[in-house]
Parts: sequence; C-alpha cells; structure tokens
Amino acid sequence: MRSVNPALACLISAVLPVASVLCSAQSSSFVHQKRYAMGTVFEIVIYDDDLHQADAAARASLDEVVRLDGVMSNYKPESELSRMNRSAHFQWVRISRELYQVIEQSLLYSRLSEGQFDISVGPVVDLWKAALAGGPMPTAAEQAAALRCVGYRQIELMPPDRIQFHSDCMRLDLGSIGKGYAVDRVAGLLKARGIRRAYIDAGGSTIYALGAPPGANAWPVGLRDPSGKLAPQTLLMNNSVSTSEQSAPSALQPDAPGHIVLPGTGKPLETRYAVSVTALYATESDALSTTLLLLGPVKGAALVKTFHNVSAIWIDSGGQGTIAGDSTAFHLAAEKQPNRIATVEISKADKGSPQ
Amino acid sequence: MKKAPVVCAAFLVSVIAGVPATAKVFFRVTPYPLPPARKTGVEDVVVVWPSPDSSSIARLRSGGYRVWLQCESKDLTEAVAAADQALSTGVIVTNPANSNQSLEKQLSTLAVAHKNLAFRNLISGGKQPQMRGRLVVERDGILQVSSPSTQPWLDTNLAIVRLAQSTHPDSFPITYDFRWSTEEVPAGAWHPDADDYALAIAESDAIRSDVIIDLPPALQKALYAEDPQAWSLWKKAMAYLGFASRAPAETSHPVANLGVIVDEERDSYEAVNLMARHNLAFEAIRPRDLTRSHLNGWNAVVAFCALNHEAVAILQNFAAMGGIVVLVNSLENFPWHSAPPFRREPHSTTYTIGSGQIVELAEPVIDPEGFARDLRRVIGRERSVLGLWNSLTTIVTAYRDQDRREITLYLVNYADQPDNVQVQVKGRFRQVRYESPDEPCCVSLSSFERNGFTEFTIPSLRIVARVHLDSRGENSAAQ
Repeated sequence: MRSVNPALACLISAVLPVASVLCSAQSSSFVHQKRYAMGTVFEIVIYDDDLHQADAAARASLDEVVRLDGVMSNYKPESELSRMNRSAHFQWVRISRELYQVIEQSLLYSRLSEGQFDISVGPVVDLWKAALAGGPMPTAAEQAAALRCVGYRQIELMPPDRIQFHSDCMRLDLGSIGKGYAVDRVAGLLKARGIRRAYIDAGGSTIYALGAPPGANAWPVGLRDPSGKLAPQTLLMNNSVSTSEQSAPSALQPDAPGHIVLPGTGKPLETRYAVSVTALYATESDALSTTLLLLGPVKGAALVKTFHNVSAIWIDSGGQGTIAGDSTAFHLAAEKQPNRIATVEISKADKGSPQ
Repeated sequence: MKKAPVVCAAFLVSVIAGVPATAKVFFRVTPYPLPPARKTGVEDVVVVWPSPDSSSIARLRSGGYRVWLQCESKDLTEAVAAADQALSTGVIVTNPANSNQSLEKQLSTLAVAHKNLAFRNLISGGKQPQMRGRLVVERDGILQVSSPSTQPWLDTNLAIVRLAQSTHPDSFPITYDFRWSTEEVPAGAWHPDADDYALAIAESDAIRSDVIIDLPPALQKALYAEDPQAWSLWKKAMAYLGFASRAPAETSHPVANLGVIVDEERDSYEAVNLMARHNLAFEAIRPRDLTRSHLNGWNAVVAFCALNHEAVAILQNFAAMGGIVVLVNSLENFPWHSAPPFRREPHSTTYTIGSGQIVELAEPVIDPEGFARDLRRVIGRERSVLGLWNSLTTIVTAYRDQDRREITLYLVNYADQPDNVQVQVKGRFRQVRYESPDEPCCVSLSSFERNGFTEFTIPSLRIVARVHLDSRGENSAAQ
C-alpha cells in the first residue's frame, strides 16, 4: 500500500487536469439513454458516427439490464434468484448459466476476503433494513437467528449449473455484485455491436468506460469524498470504478443503523470511509468496493495486492486518503483547498482499521 | 421563546385545507391554426399575451376551444381588457414570487369588474415531470461522480403545488407550468413524446392542480397538417386526457399523517420536495392556520418557521399525546426545556414529552434527501398512513371523500416502465378497485388486512393508476 503525498496529488492534478484530458471534441454525436433497473437508474452514453446504431445498441443494452434484473432481483418474487432462494435448501437446483457465474464469482471473492464479502448475508441485512425503514431495532435473539443463516461455505455449486444450500434458512442477495455483472454484460454487448466509445453507469456506484470520448484519452470520473476537500478523480478507459460507503448518520435518529452489515458479526459497519475501486471488470470493482469498505485500508491493501490491475482509495470524513495499488489511478484536485491540503496528512498503513 | 414574526403571530383560525376536486389541463399554443377541439380532445388553450395575431383567439374559439390569455403581472390590466374584448374564457397571470398580496388585490378588483372572465395564478418553479439520470452530458464530456448507489431522482411538482396551496389558501386557483427539457432529443423523434405528455397529464391529475403544458409549434402544425405520426402520438396522449377527465369530481381532502408548517416557501421547498418524493403523506399549512382540529389527523409535525405561544402550546400538547414534533433551525427556549433532554447530539436535541417526542434541529435542513428518509424512519411504518414497496419511481397521493368512507389513491410511475407496486393503506376497506388508461373502471384487486393496514398490489403500473378504497361496512379508514 502506498500513501499519497498531498503535494504529489497537487502535482498530478496540475499535470492532468480535466481540461487537458478532454480535448475539443471532434464529434459530439452521442446517444444518452437511461432506464430504471436494479433499484437505480442505469445510464448509457455512446459516441458513434452512426447514431441509429448507437441508439439501437443503447436500447438493447438497457433491455439486457432489465432482463438481468428479472434474473437476479431479490425483491421480485418471480425472479430466478427468488425461486432459487425458495428451493435450494438441501437439494440440488438447476440454475441459469449467468446466475451460476455470478454466484461462482461471488464465492471466489468470499474466499479471497475470508468471508468479508458474502452474498448470503441477506437475512441479516434485511433485519437491519427493517430497522432503517422505521421498524424496531432487532433483538439479540433475532440477530443471532439471522446470523445463523449466513455463511458462504454453506453454498455448494456443482458445474455446470447446479446449486444447493446446506442451511435451512439461507438466502442469497446479489446486491453487492449484480450491478457490476450487468455492467460487464452491457460492455460486452456494446463491443459485439461494434461500439468503441461508451460510458455505462449503474446508478453511480459502478461505472465502466469503453474506450474514450472523442478527442480525449479517457473519461474523467469524480469520486466520492465524504470530506468534500480532496475532489478525487480517476480516468477510465476500458476499465471500471465502483464506490461504497456506509449510510450517513441520521440527524433525527443518530442511532439508526447503516445498510452495510459485517457478515462476521451481523452488525452494521461503523466506518468513516468511502472507498472507490478501479478494476478491469465492473463485477470485480463492484464486489471489491463493498469488501474493501468492510476490511478498511490496512487489511484491504493486502487484499488489493492479490489482484492485478486493481487499485483502491479510501477517503475519510476528515479529508485523509489512502491508496492501495497503482497510485496513479487516482488524482486529487488538492489545489481546491490549499489551506486544508497543506495540513492534510494522507494516512499511513498504520492508521488502523476503522472497524 | 421565540418572538413570533408577524406572519406567524397572528391569530389561529380554523381553515380546512383542501385541494381542487379536479385538475384542468391547459395547452399553451401558438397563433398557428389548430385542429378543432372535438378532434384534439383539448378543451382549454392558453395564448401568451400580447399575441402577435389578434385574430388567433377568435380562430381558436371558433374551433371550439376555451381560450385563456397568459400575461405577466405588469401587463395584467391590459391583458384583461384584451381578454374581455376577445371573449376569452379567462386570464392566467404569472406570479413570480408565488406570493404577491398586491397582485391578489388587483386580481380581486379585476374579477369583480370582469365577471365574465375567470382568473388563475400561475406559480413559478414548475419542472417537467420525469425520472432523472445522474449524468450531465455536455459537448466536451460527462460530469459524473462515482458514489454509493442512489435511488432514482424524480422531478415532481407535488411540493410546489402543495406549498402554494397552503401559503395562499384563499387565492385564485393555482396553476403551474414547466418547459420541456430540450436535452438529448434523438434526431427525427417527436419531442416530447407521447409518454412525456401522458406523465405530465397524469401528474397534474394526481396532485389535483391545473397545469399548462406547452404544445410545441412543430406538433401543432403537424396535427393541423394531418400528419399521421403526429396524430398517432396525440391519440396516445388523449387517452390520458380522457382518463384524467374521469377522475372523481367530489370535494375531497388529502390523506396525511404529517403536518408541515411553513411560512416561507423557499426555506422549506427542498425538504418538502424530498418528503413528497419519499411518499410521506403530508399536508402543508401556514402557522396561523394551525389548530387542534388539524392535529387530530396527524401523528407527526415538522415546523420550518418560528411559532407563537399558542402554536407552541398546541404542539407541546400534541407531543404529550404521542405525536412527533420536529422543529427545524430552532435555537430558542421552549417550556419543555425545563426538563433534561432525552438525547443531545451536536445538531439535534430530543425531548420526551408524555408518550411523544420533540426533536429540535439546530440548523436548517442541509441534506433534504437524508432528512426525508430520517423522517420516514422516525415516523415509522406503524404511524404512516400510506406505504409503497418495490417501486422507487412511483409517487402516491391520496384523497378521502367528505364522509370519510372512500379513499382515492393516485399512483404515478415516473420511470415509464411497468412495475408491480405493493401498496399499504392504513384502515380496513371492504373493496379495492383500480383503473388506468388501459383498464377501464374498475378492476377489483385482492387485498388483505395486516396490523390495521390494507395491503394490495397494483399489477404492471406503467404511468398512472387510480385506486378506489371503499370502507363502507367497515369500522375504520385512514385518517
């Protein structure tokens, strides 16, 4: 893990400001479409000389996202995931190849993160979600009962398309990886249709950039900064970025729980960080952003090292940032707040875990 | 105790807040010819004054239209004279501040002098109803920030209408308008498209406020020229006009469990806007209209303004009876401060009073989205009169009839994508029926009762549906 020197950040920012990245556009012909799916708004921007082709590609892509929502939604009782959740207890269930793939990849991240990433955390998350929506806080007994249903090791896959749960109350929730998977599918679909310049956005939490916009080297994307002081940015070209952050504290109800829950304890995560992760694939960045938020910068940096082409930045509410992976993956517009930046000390690896 | 400002300090009068029984859709047209009213299905058209062509009003009238003149407040006298002379139906005057007592007075005088004319107040701040994306696409790039996944942002006019209705309950009928977004219009496509018109009409119907919708000159000309594509679009929009025209016409009142006390719209707009977006069933009133009878229907109150002694006493009593009171930007001393707070945080202090609580926020609402979500959480599911599941793009409004036996829900889906919407309404209802432009009145819905709520699902809500809940024969209905 490397720390970012604010002065260096300033320099990077000065060398690579947005204006220098985006040259005057040679062609401003683009299509922008949006669709509601997976609980958020998916948006696609495509630059192409053939706007009819771009329009059709965007439409087909969003149709594909809606279709995948029908497969992976845990809100829709008729989705394939919901049906599987109702029937995979102690018996093999045949599932579609794409659902199998997502679960298979999820289990990989679960193993790599030693269970911090866990798609079986749904029963515990739902418990806290109810409290977040105004219901009573879950009792210790309710938490223990829900926690008993969690554990990725109780999910068994049998190639090429079968799954079984070794738990009577297990329920999978793909909310921490499904959008990334859908974005990757869209990227593949656009490439297959000959699209070379596109921007795919799943509600802001996962973004994939195909190629670069006309006249530019990359797509600049601002990153979440809870401090509002660093104005971090990344440049995307044929890669993705995902961001995770715990729900903000409530002014009216300060003890309200956050929506991200630690699978090990079943308790809402307490952290002052937002984390953004860049990766070659959106599935990877999506899954890792939640995982790295749960792990914090110390353990998280160790996990980042095990991946190729993955970088992460943790930024806390005080305006301190920590980068793991390729430090040039992120740029901090530090000159925005010269006084603040002069006093900012980017956190070191020994800052400790936020949990 | 706060020194009550003039606007808040007056007397407390009993005003029964209500909304118009139905909404009227006006189309703003150019002087170019328009096919006759019997063909377009439109009854009321608006021409902006001064019209470049004085004969255009006569032409529109001969086409069967009721013609309204729209003018700025500075041109009101001249526009009224012109409208009178041209035998127009009425005058719609722009009220930029949404609060102009001298204009109200002038309108009253003119209304007396011109009894043949109707008058409308056009409030500012309207926006095209739509589900917005996050991307801002400009010629030289995309402005975007990667952040935790967010709920869809809905542009809705519910808040500005409710605030205007509450702060000017005695004014001339309120109308809002908006400009069609001109961003990213696909080449060769009609803009706005049929769904854009449908949503605008449906929203106006649901919030029961008149709306002025622009009819772009290109479409107007194409309709007149009998362009089949233009007529194909228009016939789809007409289905929504027809649906809106079949809305119940009886006087009714919004169903609300949350009172919002406001005296200055701009101080509270964003917070109230997000309350609307989060389907908090609210009713906005001025502080001088706060009475104990209002509080009978509410279980929570948010005050965005200073309160006089009487209002404070009413709210304290309300909390003692189990109500939740939130005072925004409150730094004053109140009677309940004599007891220690239940909880003190950097930006809020909570007092427990009787079986209720009063939360004092030390600053204005800085994060309206978070505030609305917090409010929903604090009120809790048990106290809410309305709830939706699995539809983050639908806004619901509800009205109860005078004898409190029937409730009509309006559900408007801003995403233009069919969604199964699960609905929960407080109370027991013998019959739940729904209708939509695709389903003539009425289709019975199966429902069940749980913990004092009636629950049902609207199948495939695309843009709009009305649901009629009948409690005749039952003991309780939503307050």
